[in-house]
This record gives sequence, C-alpha cells and structure tokens, in this order.
Amino acid sequence: MQPNTRRSFLVRLTGFLVAGGALVASWPLFRSLIPNVLYEPPRRFTVGDPNRIQQGVTFLDEQRVFLFREANSFHVISGICTHLGCTVKFARFGRQQEKTVRAFSFTALGEFHCPCHGSKFHGEGTNYAGPAPQPLKWYRLEVSPADGELIVDLDREVDRDFRLVV
Amino acid sequence: MNLQPLKSMIQDHLRPWRPESSREAGSGIVSNFLLHWFPNRVSLKSYKFSYSWYLGTVSFVLFLILGITGVILMFLYVPSVERAYWSIKDLDFAVSFGWFLRRVHRVCAHLMVVAVFLHMFRVFLTGSYKAGKIVHSWRNYNWVLGVVLLALTLLLSFTGYLLPWDQLAFWAITVGTNIAAAVPVFGEQLRQVLLGGTIIGQPTLIRFYVLHCALLPVALLGITFWHLWRIRKDGGLAVIEQVRSEVQNQQPTAPKKFKTYSILGIAGGTSVQVSDPTTLNTDNSVPSTPFLTVRLLGVTLATLALSLILSLIFAAPLEQAANPDVTPNPAKAPWYFLGLQEMVGYSTLMGGVIIPGLVIFGLALIPFLDKEQEGIGKWFTDKSGLRWGTFGFAYGTVITVLVLAIAILFPMRSVFPGIESQLFFDFVNPATMQILMFAALYFAVLKKTSSTRYAAIATFCAFIVAFVLMTYTGTALRGPDWDFFWPWQPWPEHPSTL
Repeated sequence: MQPNTRRSFLVRLTGFLVAGGALVASWPLFRSLIPNVLYEPPRRFTVGDPNRIQQGVTFLDEQRVFLFREANSFHVISGICTHLGCTVKFARFGRQQEKTVRAFSFTALGEFHCPCHGSKFHGEGTNYAGPAPQPLKWYRLEVSPADGELIVDLDREVDRDFRLVV
Repeated sequence: MNLQPLKSMIQDHLRPWRPESSREAGSGIVSNFLLHWFPNRVSLKSYKFSYSWYLGTVSFVLFLILGITGVILMFLYVPSVERAYWSIKDLDFAVSFGWFLRRVHRVCAHLMVVAVFLHMFRVFLTGSYKAGKIVHSWRNYNWVLGVVLLALTLLLSFTGYLLPWDQLAFWAITVGTNIAAAVPVFGEQLRQVLLGGTIIGQPTLIRFYVLHCALLPVALLGITFWHLWRIRKDGGLAVIEQVRSEVQNQQPTAPKKFKTYSILGIAGGTSVQVSDPTTLNTDNSVPSTPFLTVRLLGVTLATLALSLILSLIFAAPLEQAANPDVTPNPAKAPWYFLGLQEMVGYSTLMGGVIIPGLVIFGLALIPFLDKEQEGIGKWFTDKSGLRWGTFGFAYGTVITVLVLAIAILFPMRSVFPGIESQLFFDFVNPATMQILMFAALYFAVLKKTSSTRYAAIATFCAFIVAFVLMTYTGTALRGPDWDFFWPWQPWPEHPSTL
C-alpha cells in the first residue's frame, strides 16, 4: 500500500474525473439510440362495421391478430407466437368441437400452430405443445361511440372469457 | 528521361523478396513495410502445413475478400425498407457482375464462419492456448481475444443476414432478436435497443447496416491486429515451445578446429567454444522471406480460388420481399445458429440464453481452468489425449443422439401434462440434460485422470460433435412446423391456412 501523499491523491482524483467524464460523455451517444418517437402502426385501430365482419375467423395481417365472430359476439386473439414472435397459423378442424381447457369451455373452430419451433395452442390460445411459454394474448375490443365501428386495442390485454356482444 | 532513380527505388523495395543470403533475408524484414510484421526466421515445425493448416491465414484472407467485395456492395445497396430488396434484385439482374459480387461475399461469409471454427478447434486440440514453461507467454490471453473474434464473426454474419430484406432475412432476424428478449429482467429492453423500436422496420435495418458495415468490421480488424501482434510477441505459434525445449536440452557440440589458439591465462585448453543459445538456427528454421511469404501467397491464392469456384457453383438465394404478415414454414435462422434454434425449440431461456452464455464464457475460461504445460503444440497432447478425445467424440455422439431422440419422441409437455409452470420446462428439458451430461463428463475424466487437459479434451470433443449434430438436425431434418423428417422423407404440402 502506497502512502497517501498529495501526488497519489491527485492521481486518483484525475482518474475519477476522467472516468466520470467518459461516463457523462458516453451517455448522450447511447441515449440518442433509444427512440423517443416510433413511426410504427397504431396500437389502437378500427376494423370496420361489426355487421360486415364475416362469421368465424378473420386474420388481420397488418396487425397480426385473429378476429373471431360467433353470431353477435366478438373477440380478438394475438397471432404472435409467445415463443419467438413468428406469426402463428390457424389450423381449422373439419367441424367445430366443444372443448374444455384449463377449466374453460368453448367452441373451437380450430387451433393455432407456429411454423418456427412447432408450438401449438388450443383454440382459445392456451399453449399445449412445443416451446411456447405462455398462451396467446387476448386484446380488448370496443365499439366506437362515434360511428359504431369495432376498435381493437393492442395495449389492453384481457382474459380469455372476454366477449364483446354487439 | 532518366528512370534510374525510380528503377533503383523499386529494386530496393523488391530486393528482399528474392534474398540471396540469410542476412539479406533478415534485413528485408526490417526494411520492407509489407514484411515488417513477419519474424526474421520461422521454425520448421510451425511452417509445416499439417500443424496449423494455416486456418488463421485463411480466416484473415476471407475477411479481406469480404472487406473488398463489401465496399463495392455498399456503393450499390440502399439501406431503406422500400429499396433494400430492390437494390439486391438489381445486383442480381441489372448490375454488371453484381450477382457475382453478391455470391462471393456470401460464400466467403459462410467460409469464414467455418474457417474461424476450425481454427479454434486446431488451437484447442494442439494445446496452443497454454503459456509455456520456458518463456512465460500471454498466449492464454490471446485465446480470449480469439473467442471475442469468433463472437464478432458470428455477429457480422448475423447482421449481414438481414440486409437483403427478403423473407429469409426478415424471419431469421425475428427469431434471432426474440432470443435476446429471453434474457431475464432486461430482455425486452435489449430487444428494443437492437430493433430501434418494437417491431423490425427501418430503424432495425439502418442499425444492422451500420453495425455490419462500420462498427463490427472495424472492431474485428482492430482485435485481429492485436491477435496477430500477440502471436509475434509470444514468439510465434505455440509449437515454438517444443523447439525451445529441444534447443535447451541439446548437448553443446564440440567446436570445429580451424586454428589453434592458446588463450593464455584466460581459459584453459587450446580452443574457444561458443554455444549458440538462440532458439531458431539454421537447423530448425528457415528465413521468413521467401519461405513463409511464398507459402502465405499460396494459401491466399488457394483461398481466393476456392471461394471463387464455390461462388460460381452456389447461387445466393433471394426469396420474396420481406412480409411481416406471412411467416414462411419452416422459418430458419442462418445455418450456424440452427443448432441453437434446435435447442431454443426446447426452451428459450435454457437453449437461447443460458447454454450459449455458458459456452462462450466456458470457452474464454479454458486457458485458466487447464494450466498444465505438457505437450504444447502437439495434437491431442499425447496418446492418452487422443484416446480421451476419441472417447469424447463417442460420448458426445451418444448423448446428442439421445437428447435429440428424447426431444423428438417425448416432448416434455406430453411427459408432464399436468404441469403448467414455464420455469419447470425451462429447466427440465433435453438441452439441460445435455449440458449436465457434458459437465459430468468433464468431472468424471478429471477424477479418473486428475488431468485438466484430458478432461478439457474429452469435453471439447463432445461439444464439437454436439454442435455438428445439432446443426445438421436443425438444417436438414426439421421441416414445416419444425417437425422431424428423415432426409428421404418428403415434406408435406402443408395447407396454407388463412
């Protein structure tokens, strides 16, 4: 251990100043690379008049969500695999089946398959095979008070018993 | 016009390439700029082809070809999501020799990944990461630089993969960047910094472009020069340790008697004996120029020839323009990441983050875990080393085939249907089993032989074979929906739903 002289103190002080200065100088370089404005598709969008949406399932490819309609009841399931973000495909059953998954009964038109790593999801989004760690997400649907059109809100997740009845 | 000064200047610079004596060869090294990074003499052992296979040289030459073709491609490529794909189309169909430049760049990128891996295998198997006993070198730190260079090579290749902006590129990068999101705690932030947003778009393309064309090549070149400089500082290739010990153990030979002197009162006898303590002498080495320089020229030309021939044979693929709405089935990462993708199919956290992290960290630690100094510069150290290496290969094959069989025949979720906890499957899966079995191999061999070197050889060989088998499975045996298909089984015409 060197004795605490004025010189050693000044050397250490200079070291701290240089390190601190480098840290301060590098912050703007790094921070500038984290965007403040994203020019990405809106997270909340309209999908049109609910009466004109076809029965069964519709894939909205720009937003990567599946829109389901059973009579007058609507719901939306995310098409993004929870494993590594590939777009899942909807594999239709020959005829619709009554299913019970995790104590939840529903009518399934088919199920979801992911092409990247073979994850499989039941018709209500629960993962049952492959590496997917979580069920597919459900998003909130609402009716626009202004013009009665359906609105999907990707920032608001809902449970799988969510139904919008119009 | 008097051209004499110019002629003599050119001759002055060319002279050392054709030296007439050892002395002239030596002075060439110090007077010629192009030669100054070579040693004066090079030992016959390191000069030998079957020792190093010149894989480091091959890697560097490939990097140079990539740099030259890359700069030309930069003039012709537009890094914008609207135009990137079409500028690649132009390269293929409108630009003179554009198709060829693109092919050469792609072939060299693949070859460089292969060459860098093979170079690492060679350096490991010849024990060249060891410091040595006679002169303590920094070779162990140079190995760490090599691991960094391997990582940079893979990153360069990965960032270049996105630039064509076709379906292949787009989905490989989707999968790749989502692996980053599996990092605990700050994974999602890491992914967004990589992407410059929440989805792959213009900010991602420009980020990858700048990384690929500026930051990563400069970093790689800088560290490469450091890597090469360290080789010179450490006395050359590691096989020099053998030359050193041979010279050290040599009995001084009796001096030849030309004349008889008597050194009155200074030394007894009637002759003076000078023992030469230098490592490299005329018996065990040759002058670097022309021997090494000509050999390097040959390796360079052979590498160039190979890459040009391969470029003429293999076309660079270009699929449809990137479409975020349609995931191709199957969607695959670049081939050297397909072993990783196979493991990511078991668990993202284990196969995509923990195991690659352990492997990179473990590679960097090798010289500090294995400090035995025997057999430096000898393939597999000795006969027992070769036996343990063979055992490692066999063990790695058995374990990997077993792991793949479990993954394909008994998916974890069907073995434990009642369990929903993701954490459980992150730790109970074939990839975990594989890494535990390899760790067990290391400690078993260590216990049996009490040699860190033998344990390292066995484990390293097991990892080599696992890497090859996993990569092969991911590349050739996985089809639509990532289902398993033998090479002779046709892929189903899968219904394109929705």
